[in-house]
Parts: sequence; structure tokens; C-alpha cells
Amino acid sequence: MSSTDTAAYATREGRLSRHVSFLAYDNYRYLKWAILAVIAAIILYIAVPPYGGERYGGGWAGYILGTVGALLIVWLTWFGYRKRAYNPEHKYVHTPAPGAVEEIHPPEDPSRLARRLSAHVYLGLALLVIATLHTGFHFGWNIHLLAYVLMVIVIVSGIYGIIVYARYPTVMTRNRQNLTLAQMQAQVTAIDAELRRAALPLDDAITRIIRDSLDNTPIGGRFWRQVSGRYPNCGTARALAQLGTRPSGAFAASEDSWRLFRAKLQEKSDVVARLRRDIRYKALMDVWLYFHVPVTFALLAALIAHIISTFYYF
Amino acid sequence: MEVEVTFLSRRGTAIMRRAQRASGERVHIGRGTDNEVRLTDIHVGLRAAALLVRDGELAVERLDNSPLEVNGNVVDTAPLSPGDVIGLGPYRIEVTAPPEGCDGAIQIELAPAAGAGGPEATSRVRIGLERTGANKRVYAWIGFVVVAALFFAVPLIIFNSGLMRAWHKDTPTPAAAKVAGLSWSPGTFSNAHRFFAADCASCHEGAFAEVPDKACLACHADVGSHVPHGVELAAAGKELATLRCNDCHTEHRGIQGSVIRTADLCLDCHRDLQTTAPAAKVPNVDGFPAGHPQFRATLSDVPHTVPVRAELGGPPLIDKPGLKFSHDVHLKTIHDASVLEDRRVKGCADCHTPDAGGLGFQPITYKVQCERCHELTFEKVSLPWPKAAVPHGDDTGVIAAVWNYYAGLALRQGTGSSPAPAAQGQAMERRGAGMPAPPAPGATPGDTQAWVTAQASTALRTVVFEERRGCAYCHYSTAPDGAWNVDKILAQALPPKPNPAPIVAHPMLRNNFLPNAVFNHGLHSGVPCENCHTVGPMKSDGVEALMVPGKETCAKCHGAESATLHVQSTCIDCHDFHRNEFGLMHMTEATAK
Repeated sequence: MSSTDTAAYATREGRLSRHVSFLAYDNYRYLKWAILAVIAAIILYIAVPPYGGERYGGGWAGYILGTVGALLIVWLTWFGYRKRAYNPEHKYVHTPAPGAVEEIHPPEDPSRLARRLSAHVYLGLALLVIATLHTGFHFGWNIHLLAYVLMVIVIVSGIYGIIVYARYPTVMTRNRQNLTLAQMQAQVTAIDAELRRAALPLDDAITRIIRDSLDNTPIGGRFWRQVSGRYPNCGTARALAQLGTRPSGAFAASEDSWRLFRAKLQEKSDVVARLRRDIRYKALMDVWLYFHVPVTFALLAALIAHIISTFYYF
Repeated sequence: MEVEVTFLSRRGTAIMRRAQRASGERVHIGRGTDNEVRLTDIHVGLRAAALLVRDGELAVERLDNSPLEVNGNVVDTAPLSPGDVIGLGPYRIEVTAPPEGCDGAIQIELAPAAGAGGPEATSRVRIGLERTGANKRVYAWIGFVVVAALFFAVPLIIFNSGLMRAWHKDTPTPAAAKVAGLSWSPGTFSNAHRFFAADCASCHEGAFAEVPDKACLACHADVGSHVPHGVELAAAGKELATLRCNDCHTEHRGIQGSVIRTADLCLDCHRDLQTTAPAAKVPNVDGFPAGHPQFRATLSDVPHTVPVRAELGGPPLIDKPGLKFSHDVHLKTIHDASVLEDRRVKGCADCHTPDAGGLGFQPITYKVQCERCHELTFEKVSLPWPKAAVPHGDDTGVIAAVWNYYAGLALRQGTGSSPAPAAQGQAMERRGAGMPAPPAPGATPGDTQAWVTAQASTALRTVVFEERRGCAYCHYSTAPDGAWNVDKILAQALPPKPNPAPIVAHPMLRNNFLPNAVFNHGLHSGVPCENCHTVGPMKSDGVEALMVPGKETCAKCHGAESATLHVQSTCIDCHDFHRNEFGLMHMTEATAK
């Protein structure tokens, strides 16, 4: 690969188009392979009359489907590992200086990544068909069903992964409005400083409200908070609600300062909402891997038990 | 009071101090400009607290609702001594030893962790799922280890530890071991095996080995052979001898059962059995209905005792059971004869009663089917026994019954007062040609025997052996042609003597004309009889056409095992593999030794 290609790849356009290109890699080469494999499996399933009149995963056709399925699982796991190795974790790179450009690590060899990803996706989808045919549509409450269910969870979470990888980068870009995460965080910090300064000489009644916004506006947080994007205990939202009407009585703020606080809090609320959405989109792009990868390993264990138990007493 | 106030600020390792003195009755601490000690952070109240001298001691007191801490405890007021630390908002206020002329001294510093939160404080650690403590690698290993332990290691250990036992052993398998076994079971058990199948060791005796025949034979000790012993079957026989139970039976298929129904299991040998094993004399079969030879019925051929076999589907076959019987007459003439009232034949079910298992029908017997209409009476007089009848199926008994009846009559009322022939019923009105006249009333004792013989002879001639109402009505005689030569019969039978020759030829009623197949009438009970059985008129020679249908009749409903619009049928739907009449299956024999 020439250096020009690498440069082009690193542009924004190059990155956006990557979501299409891994699916369409080499004119859908792996899609074609996958379809071929699925058709072959279906023909095998239909054409070979099963021993005993019912398909239970045995017989030579059943063993072929099972062997291909097992090899695919091992191979896809290995591919997944290799793919990740060339795709270092997408991390927010927190640069202390406001306005610093967030860094996205380009893969070391993009074409290899696209090939691996393309093969992983299409052959993974083909596996769903092949393994289902291997079951012969007979299920019981046993290790064999466990292996199948784990495989389905892995594949379904993978399908979710394809969807979010295709969809959320664009959505994230639109949400960020040409700002980086660090820039948005700097905006919040700046607004906080203004709020702090403006509230300093004022009555405790208002400083309490402003303090609530300063102290209790979580951005990010625990696993499910990042994924859900819901912050029910948000001080800024509370402050805005409390300042919805101009407080009377002991609150000594003038009409002007009330408007100032409202405007600043609203501005903060908007930036915070965008930040939280950004975090949520990123979390949604990552969360499936917390199922996909661990369940894959549970599947490998179940697969070993499935195969050994089948031949241990046959 | 007077207090020395020192503000500390740190830049790296450098510490800057700015000291001032505050005085007043009380020294106020707060955000407001009117405080003696001003702390410019909105986390501090406008007038948050005050230092005062109480009972000669320095103390602090909370003034508004900003939380006040002394040495980590939230307080409203507290005495202070050097070394105490006051927490107020983000500030750390340490009480130090007062210099000369002061009531107290404090040292104020912005606590290192300024503010309680704020986005800038949390963002670095809480953005990105990888920073929440969730760890894919850890979860992956947990998942692997848990599944491998529960579903691989545990069952393996249990199988090899001897905890899993054959069900017929005295020690029961522990429940936990059964559960572990079930996790490896590839499917539910057949109904018949459910009660013990969770004990894997009942069938599976070793690792990576097929279920041995002896595991099956532990229960199924008397499995019938497939072929008669002693028939030379060449290569097919060798193959048959190597068959294992496992080849045709399998488990873990739920209600599918343990019998594999695939036709190929049979057809692999039976397709060309005429070539490979001509001695078997079995036609080649290649499926059903196409590829299956026409059915061959087994027919009686009375008076010959050896049955004959003949192909159905062609000209009508004649079964010769040794009985003069017409289905046609019974189902039409007698059906219509209203004079018979409740003894009319209303349908097939009047005579053909399903057997207890429902597979076929109870055998046709005189007692059950015929007697209701075809009585064996020969004399109707008023006696202690109202009707004089002969027994059925007992030739000697027939003669004896008649003879004994008249002998008894003579003893009871004497030969002189014997009932007039007119009183003995229609049959006794006329004396047969050439028959001796009944003895005269008041005969001597010697004449009594003659009288009894004459009476018995008349009854036998005119009723019992009479062609239109006696045995001959339904049966053939033992004569080679089956004809009834009554004179000859009587001459042999009377007077009674020991060991008389049989008179009536025994019929051979068949209950099953297709003995090599099993037809389950019970399963077909929804189908009217006439759908398969056609009643034809009796021929002049007293025989009727066999009503057993040929292959075509079955094929109206039954198709091949892969049929879509017909009943899917396979070999074992009609044919048994294990034929108990052939003796024991080879592996059973080996075990039996």
C-alpha cells in the first residue's frame, strides 16, 4: 500500500466510507463465499436423507455441517482476535488542553482490517444458518442447546455491532457539530466558571441552586448510565427548573442576573446533553462487545463439551 | 477577640503565606464582603460561621446552612484547640497555636480536591465503558471457566467416578449425577426407556464406545430371529450375523422411539435377495408401493392340511377352509329376512369381534358366532332338559348324545309309552326308506335296545346328518370327497362302539391370510369394511372368493416413506423384523449360552 492511500484513508471521508467498505470489501467477495456456503449447506441438508428419518445432527451430512460450524467458530474467534489486534481500542484521548484534536488511531493496514472484518461478518452470518441446519431443529435442555444459544447470542450481538458501526459514526459526527469531546468539556468548564463567578456575591438561596448544577451534573459514569444516557439526578436540570420562574422573597438577584443564570444554565444544559449523547453513542458502539467477546469464550467451552460429549458416548 | 488568619497557597512544592489579623466580638467567616474572614467560593455561605471565645476557650459556631466540620465531624458548634481542622466548603482551616496577643490563629487552605464534583473532576475516569471497571477479558475467562466446569468437567468426573450406575443395579444413582448426565443427553428418551435412561451407565458402558448389545439384552433377552435358522443365506446371512442392536435401534429421539424406520435398513439386503440369497425364496423388494411384489395369501386347502400360497390381485382366489359358508347369503338373504327378527345379520360386526388388543379379530367359533342361529337340537319334547341337542365338535359325543337321549327316554317312560312319532316333531314324521320300523309298544327288554337304536338312527338320519339341517349343512364329511354317506356313517356308528372313526372333516379357518405381514384392523377402524373387502356371490360348488385385498387396495392410502400426499409407509409398518417363530436372534443366542 502506498503512502498516498494511507493518507487518503486517514481523512474524514475515508473513515466515513469505511463503514460501507468493510461490508462491500472486494466487491462483496466474502458475502459471495458466505452465500455459497449457505446454499451448499441447505442442499446437503435437503438432499441427504437422514439416518432414521429424522435429523439429529448425526449422519454424515450432520457431521459435515457440525464440523464446518465448529471450524467456523474457532476460525471466527481467531479472526476476531486478530482483527482487534489491528484495531486498537477506540478510546477517547483526553487531551488536557481545550481544543486539542481527538485522536483516532487508524488501523495499521486498513485493507487487511477491512478484509478480516468483511470475512468475520459474512462467515459469521453464514454460521448461523449452518449451525441451525446442524441442529436439525431438535432442541432439548442440555449442553447442546446451551452451545447453540450461546452461538446465537454471539451472532446476534455481532449483527447489532454491524448496525451500530454502520450507523453511529455518522450520528456521532452530526451530534458533535465539529467539536471534539475535549472542546465540549472545556465549554462546560468555562460556563461553570462564569456561573461560579456570577453567583459569588449573591444570596445563598441562589448559590445553592448554582452549586447544585456545579456539583451534581454527572457526565459519563457507570456502565449502564453511559449506555442508557439517562441522568435522572441532574443538578443542572434541577437548577433550570427552579429558575424557571424568578424566585421571590429572600432571593435578591435582579431581573438581569436571573436571566443571565437561566441563559448560562441553558447553554450548559445543551452542551452537557450533547456530551452525554456522544458518550452514549460511543457506549452503544462498544457495549455489544461486552457480550460478544465473553459469550464467545463461553461458547468455546460449550463447543468443546458438546463435541466431546457427543463422541464420548455415541 | 483577635485572631491571626493565614492564607496558604501552594504552587508545586512552594508554599505562599499571607497573614492578616481579624478582630471583633466575633470573627465571622463567609463569602460575603462583610465578614472578617472572607472565603470566595460559592460553596461557602454568605456568613457561614463565626469564631468566638467562650468560657475563655476558642470555639466555632455555624451561622447558616453551610455544613461545618470539625476534625471530620459535622457540628453546630465546637471548642477549638491547636491542631483541630475545620472544614468549610472546599476550605481546610487548621487551628494553630495563637501568637502573642491573639485569642486564636487559623491557617486557611483550599483543599486539594476542590469542589465536590464538577464535570472536569469526573470526566477523566467515567467516560468510556472501558473506564467503568467492566473488563471483557475477565468476563470472557469467567464465562469459559464456568461453562467448562459445569458442563464438561462435572459430567466427565461423574461418569468416571462410578457415581453413574446401571439402573438395575441395587445402588441407585444419585440425583445430582442424573442431572449431570441429562446435561449431556442429546435428546429426550424414548417413552419405554424413560424410567431408567437418566442412568447413562445403563446403556453406555465405556468411553468412546458404542452401546454394546449386552446392554440391550440385559432386558430384551428373548428377541426373535429375523430368519429361520438353518437357511443358507450366503453373503446376506453373513451381513445379518454381524448386525448389532445399534444398527437399527437408537435412543435420544423422544417419542420417535428407538426403532429406526428408514426403509433402506431393510432394502439394502432385500433389494436383490433373490441373487444374494436364493435359498431364502424371498422376492426382491425395492420399496412400497412401487417395487413391492404383489401380496401372497396363505390359503387353507381342506382336506389337505398343508396350506397353499397364491398371489392376490389377479383372478379371485379360493380359500378352502372345509366349511360351506357364504358371506353373501349371510349379509344379503339373512340380512333381509325380517322373520328372523333380532337374529338377522346386520353387518360384519355381528360375527367379527375385534380381539382384545384390537390388532385383529377373535377367532370364529361355533359357540360364539354360529350357535345363536344354528342350533344342534334333534328332539323337542317336554323333559327335564327341554331340548335334546348334540355337542359341537365332538363326533363321538354326537352319537353318544343321541343314543343316550333315547336310552334315557326308554328308562323313564318305557318303550311302550314312547311318544308318538308325531309328537317328536316334523323331522320324525316319516320313516326313512329302508329303515326298520320302531319296535312295538310293550316290547321285551331285548327289544328296548332295538327301540333305542331305531329311535337314535332315525334322529341321526333325519336331523343330525341330514344335508339341509345337520352337520352336513356346514361341514364336509371325512370321506375323500367330503360327501355324506349317511348309511355308511350310521352303520359304523350304531350301536355305539369304542374308538369310532371321525365323521366330520375338521375345517381350517384362517385368522390371518397374510401371516408374514401384520395388518392392524384397530388402526383402520375408521375405514368401513367394504372399502377393502368385497363380498361376492358364492359359487355353485359351495366356495366363495377370498375377500382379502391385494397391494393396490393398500396403495390407495399408503405411499412410500417419503410420500407427501399419501400415508408415509415403511417396511416395518407391516413387517416385523424380529420373528419369534424363527427362534432367537443371534446375539441373544450367544448370550444365552
